[in-house]
Amino acid sequence: MIKTVLPSVIAALLLVCTASAPGFAQEVEVIKFDQLQQLRQQPHDTLYVVNFWATWCKPCIKELPYFEAANVLYKDQPVKVILVSMDAAEDLETRVKPFVQKRGLKADLLLLDEVDGNSWIDKLEPKWSGAIPATLVFNNKRKQYEFVESEMTQEELTKLIEKYKP
Amino acid sequence: MKKLNLPFLYMACLLLVGMLFSAVPASDNGYQVGDTARDFKLKNTDGKLVSMADYKDAKGFIVTFTCNTCPYAIAYEDRLIDLHNKYAPKGYPVVAINPNDVKVSPKDSYPDMQQRAKDKKFPFAYLQDETQEITKAYGASRTPHLYILQKQKDGSLKVAYIGTIDDNYKDASAVQKKYAEAALNDLVQGKQVSQPNTKAIGCTIKWREA
Repeated sequence: MIKTVLPSVIAALLLVCTASAPGFAQEVEVIKFDQLQQLRQQPHDTLYVVNFWATWCKPCIKELPYFEAANVLYKDQPVKVILVSMDAAEDLETRVKPFVQKRGLKADLLLLDEVDGNSWIDKLEPKWSGAIPATLVFNNKRKQYEFVESEMTQEELTKLIEKYKP
Repeated sequence: MKKLNLPFLYMACLLLVGMLFSAVPASDNGYQVGDTARDFKLKNTDGKLVSMADYKDAKGFIVTFTCNTCPYAIAYEDRLIDLHNKYAPKGYPVVAINPNDVKVSPKDSYPDMQQRAKDKKFPFAYLQDETQEITKAYGASRTPHLYILQKQKDGSLKVAYIGTIDDNYKDASAVQKKYAEAALNDLVQGKQVSQPNTKAIGCTIKWREA
């Protein structure tokens, strides 16, 4: 029962959510691990909320609206939401950009172009098994850091941001 | 007006979406390299129950948590077949286990598994872990996720390698490091596995919702 109405409910919600926002195509920057490391080392007194997702990852897509909403809610505060796509760089034009446009994603978007997870996952977070979704939150100025390797609810994400937000 | 409406709309959306879903956290526990792995009795796509104890001549196993639906798992199907064809004769067959809950991931249903096994002519067992008990015991978190086991003198199965197949999920022809093969070669030659842990990005296992 719920399964059958769910997609239409979500579609309706997303429509309402995005219809009132101005429409423009968000850029997706393709990066290598070095650049991700630089981001991880940002010295500012800002809470970075970095979510790893992909267009093919259903649980990731489920939680994307929460990150998008956080991006809006904390817009005027030192909180930066960044979505890092794990899609293949080859799929940027055919899959990622159309998805971003369709969902009206507004948070900063990166695409990590690395094929060998083994070469970088441990350098970023040894506790991470490599499953997505996964989320890092950090404020290097305040030496705060937390890693979550699972899908989050809206409530869990809000709690996490509220816990660290400067 | 717009400025007043936006936060309200987002909040309303979130509240509703939040109410519709609840996340189930994955288990952090499971095997480490050096642990003894348990056997199982799981249904193969031919309807028969399969245990590792059934493989009398095996020296070990390439237990692989994989599925029908994850693009990474699909990208590695042919390489998993190759791995089996190369190492089963050396005593290390692939045993594939689909860990995903069918309600959460309908395309991982038993009939879908049967179809996939038939289409790809899997030369190895493709088992369904319906209760996810084995997946949890092993501590698998993503697909594909490999556990290479080595049979000990007492018949127990020691975890010798946990990780991924190689260093390029996209392009088999561009692979430079064959992690799983290197581990298997070490085992076949009676050596310690020199790189017993590797990682890769993969699809999270679809856990049964409470």
